[in-house]
Amino acid sequence: MTPATPAIEISNLSKGFGPRRQRNQALTDLSLVIQPGEIFGFLGPNGAGKSTTIKLLLHFLKPDSGNLRILGRTVGQEEYRHQIGYLSEFPVFYDHLTARETLLLSGRLSDMPRQEIALRIAMLLERMHLSDAANRRVGGFSKGMKQRLGMANALVHDPEVLIFDEPMSGLDPVGRHQIKGLISELKQQGKTIFFSTHILSDIETLCDRIGVIHKGVLLYSGGLGNFLAAGETLEDRFIRIIEEANHASVA
Amino acid sequence: MRALRNVWFLALATCTEGIRHRALWAIVCLASILTMANLGVTTLYSWDLGKVSVEFGLSSVAFTGLLLVFFLGMKILADDLERSRIFMLLSRPVSIWQYLTGKFLGLSMILFLATIILGLSAALSMRYVLLQYAAFVPPNFSWLTCIMALACQWLSLVVVLAMSVLCFSFAKQPFVALLLAVSSYLVGQNMELLRRVVVENPQAGVLVGQERLVIALSWIFPNLSLFDKKYAAAYGMAFSGQEFLLLCLYSISYSALLLYFSTLLFKRKELA
Repeated sequence: MTPATPAIEISNLSKGFGPRRQRNQALTDLSLVIQPGEIFGFLGPNGAGKSTTIKLLLHFLKPDSGNLRILGRTVGQEEYRHQIGYLSEFPVFYDHLTARETLLLSGRLSDMPRQEIALRIAMLLERMHLSDAANRRVGGFSKGMKQRLGMANALVHDPEVLIFDEPMSGLDPVGRHQIKGLISELKQQGKTIFFSTHILSDIETLCDRIGVIHKGVLLYSGGLGNFLAAGETLEDRFIRIIEEANHASVA
Repeated sequence: MRALRNVWFLALATCTEGIRHRALWAIVCLASILTMANLGVTTLYSWDLGKVSVEFGLSSVAFTGLLLVFFLGMKILADDLERSRIFMLLSRPVSIWQYLTGKFLGLSMILFLATIILGLSAALSMRYVLLQYAAFVPPNFSWLTCIMALACQWLSLVVVLAMSVLCFSFAKQPFVALLLAVSSYLVGQNMELLRRVVVENPQAGVLVGQERLVIALSWIFPNLSLFDKKYAAAYGMAFSGQEFLLLCLYSISYSALLLYFSTLLFKRKELA
């Protein structure tokens, strides 16, 4: 990868679901570029197409048209997954494996040496306040604990690019504070973070740049400063852009 | 090499998950009770008690194995998709064939373990009956043949498992996959009989003239009746090591082929 290579590059991406006659268009001609070391917040109301974009980035879904590249590698054609860490909105693990076994499996599947995995697991469990639960089965974990384990799982192989789908979902204020702190730390380490959310305060605190998506169409992509008019809050601006898009689509 | 390691790690995780699952132990307990019921059932007969005991013992193992494939195995597979657990695995450098093969091997390992436990339980009850009613021990009865019959049952379960993986790879709903797998099992169990009826009997009713179709189907569906060696074990009829080896090869190659098709079908699936 040359220094100029974007961490994530999405070009003219379109995706629909369902039979041709009743096609539900989830994404239309989406293009985005995220540079290495950036924190990019992907913002949109429910059903806007955020999770679909993430699933396309991970090749869980196949695009109808368009191109996705991660660290210069074409998604679906070249292997790139050892360089990405993924946290889903509702992380689900094997209920009968312990937290340590879960992370061990992920580390092994990411081709990490066994000794390195052990060190990373101990460090991450400590960092996520899960050390006491390391040998407990994940099935008995609370929602917040699963979310923190999901975060540890995404980081176990120390990836360059992190893709988080609603990382704060289901967390209490303390948990959210921890995750925010972690994301800031990861930024200092030079990691690229792409995360979707509809919690506006997270965007304001964490992001270098944002993308606003609604009904599968990208309405804005750029710096947060350029997005906000003088004296306007992010919430006001966000609601205004969505309403404008709704009016435009009705017209 | 790395691909095989991934398969092994996935198999190990699947096996651990299955072994710690309550459903496995509930089924194993049920089976142990069933094999113990052997003692009661056998005494209801006044003749051939040894043969009844062996057949009943091995049948309980086969029945429980099927419960494990259709309920525990398919539940573990379906949970991966329905609960989006598969995302955790496929966001790693794991290909579809590694994922499916890992799952298949892990579940085969659970079946192997269950077959050993159930086989021991059945053997204990059989041993008791054979000792109690020494006069009814089948001539040429051999424990080796019993063990080989048990191994054949496991091989047959492995084929049924591979069929379940195939159904799971293209069915949109787990319930549909289960129905298809059960239907395929029933067809596979009776295919050989149907083939023989049609080919060897010129008065095979509506199937007269459909010999080619039936032969073609018999090549598509697995011939599960080949693996049924309960009769041989019960009547002390030894079957050769060569036949056993051929059955092993058949089971492995047929399962590998099904896994290959499963991979092709699964690749077309969208994990929404």
